[in-house]
Amino acid sequence: MNVDPKAFVANARAALADPQLRPALGRLKTHFGAGRAFAVHRYGDFESLRAAGKAIRDYAVTHLDELLVTFEQSVNARGGTVHWARDAAEARRLILAILQDVGAKTVTKGKSMVTEEIRLNPFLEANGIEPVETDLGEYIIQLRDEPPSHIIAPAFHLSKEQVAETFFAAHKDLDPARSLQERNALVQEARAVLRRRFEAADAGITGANFLSAKEGAAIIVTNEGNGDLTRLLPKTHIVVTGIEKVVADMNDVAVLLRLLPRSATGQAISTYVSVMAGPRGPGETDGPENFHVVLVDNGRSRLIGTEAQDVLRCIRCSACINHCPIYGAIGGHAYGATYMGPIGAALNPGTMGVANAAHHANASTFCGRCAEVCPVMIPLPRIMRHWRAVEYGQGLAPKAITRGLALWAFAAKRPALYRLGASIAARVLKMLGRGGSVRVVPIRNGWFAVRDFPVPQGTTFQQQWRARK
Amino acid sequence: MSARDEILESIRARQLARTPKPTVYRAPPTESDPVEAFAKTLSAQYADVRLLDNMADVPAAIADILRGRNMAPMVHIAPDSELASLDLPNVEIRREPPGQFDAAVTLAPFAIAETGTLAYPSGKGAPASWHFRPVLEIAILRASSVVAELEDVLAALQNGLPSTLNLVSGPSRTGDIEQTMEVGAHGPKALAVLVVRS
Repeated sequence: MNVDPKAFVANARAALADPQLRPALGRLKTHFGAGRAFAVHRYGDFESLRAAGKAIRDYAVTHLDELLVTFEQSVNARGGTVHWARDAAEARRLILAILQDVGAKTVTKGKSMVTEEIRLNPFLEANGIEPVETDLGEYIIQLRDEPPSHIIAPAFHLSKEQVAETFFAAHKDLDPARSLQERNALVQEARAVLRRRFEAADAGITGANFLSAKEGAAIIVTNEGNGDLTRLLPKTHIVVTGIEKVVADMNDVAVLLRLLPRSATGQAISTYVSVMAGPRGPGETDGPENFHVVLVDNGRSRLIGTEAQDVLRCIRCSACINHCPIYGAIGGHAYGATYMGPIGAALNPGTMGVANAAHHANASTFCGRCAEVCPVMIPLPRIMRHWRAVEYGQGLAPKAITRGLALWAFAAKRPALYRLGASIAARVLKMLGRGGSVRVVPIRNGWFAVRDFPVPQGTTFQQQWRARK
Repeated sequence: MSARDEILESIRARQLARTPKPTVYRAPPTESDPVEAFAKTLSAQYADVRLLDNMADVPAAIADILRGRNMAPMVHIAPDSELASLDLPNVEIRREPPGQFDAAVTLAPFAIAETGTLAYPSGKGAPASWHFRPVLEIAILRASSVVAELEDVLAALQNGLPSTLNLVSGPSRTGDIEQTMEVGAHGPKALAVLVVRS
């Protein structure tokens, strides 16, 4: 696997040929898809909830400047500190400075896609600070030195046998005779190892599912409780998140909390929801003494006012990924980017550049399931189409496509020529047809490499239309 | 220009029409009796929910839960907790933070009927980490503390948000291996709730 969005086509081909991936991808429908469908059905009027979630996130995106300033003031009032990072490098530097300031040597981490996006872990390691991922999925892939293959299930691509191999290789004091055949045995092994890490950590880094401006709070949802041990046991807690995660207040968060777990795992609520507002208060015997929030832009603000603005509503639930036929065939690593599937296809060309991530926007059948299940109604296919147009406009599209389209456009603007060309093509293809399909189309790559062209009737649509009249 | 000003400027320079603050969303109502709805919903999330008539029934219930899990008759109760005066005959009470094989008894100031959720604002005598350190959490909840939804908890927090507000809806779990739910990840492997009617 190549961690490069430009390697998407080669990565996708390799993923299609990887038998290890098939069982995992099969679980998209039976686990995530079925879970969401049941949760939506049980809720009742889920469409009104989606509309409310969309309105809340639209308000936030169109008031981002005001809400971020309010958030900063609220965090300050609680004795915390807000840091602003224009890009990944600045975010890494700010986090390192906070950690060095408190003399941190080891840092536990809750699950955070933004710290994946800014490639924080290798940077900390290079600077003598050990990051320890504590979400079970993130921990597994950290041991394997792999990126996440799914937004909410980072080790989605692995079997329990692969996880067992990983633990036997990494946990030096693990008795080789110990059985790790059952999933629960793996969970208990990780629990025991990571509890020691929690208790020894100098600082904890979490992401945020939401920021609440009025209260100056960061909110995370977890099932494991790892995010809480990350925040509560060390002396310093750093929240690292994107600027677009802010909403007006906790009542808005309460509405979004009804959408997020149902869309993600099919749960009515995650086991834990933690509202984290500042360092420990007066009289409290635990919780962090220092509280920092690092707000990362990294290309997000550039999307405001563009055709892709709606993508900033995203609450990272993964419903679009779980329902995508492309992701369902190739998995997450093929994308070579932190955000995969439809949300990656809509976001990455904007934040990483069209020249780097255009493949993602092109990898869609436009079936529209992603937009149907999106809890905040992001028009994902429309945004992907926008990036395709940008790619074409900038002359970045492959020559075969630009030349083919130019030829088609030339004919389409000349009706007589178009009619003549279409009728010749229809007749020739009919003559070449065998057993319902044309196998001798000279183009043997792209679309035609895996599909036969159906035999036309011999007459064009326009000829048939005229005959019926 | 500072990063802060540059980011805010980048937003303002592009910002188009601002959409209005949305109207307040009302979730569909839960079943008629909030306590029953709470107990039913949380029981479905791998929790052991027991309804008790009054506080005098609590010690026997705690002893029974520990016995049922083959645990030593010992629990941790935070100093300065409202439960500090709780008398548990035959069960040792410790005041230091619970370890990963211990049981903790906590008082839940609120519970949410809609999702079967315990709500714990942190504060003096209510340390947030105690919901994650032990292997077993025994929560005591007065039936009158059950509210309909999270919005009611937020409205009831008179001094605003505490430094940490924990919402707990079952024992710790994970679906990270083969997307199959396993109970007992980093937090408690078991959650028992004693709902006291009066």
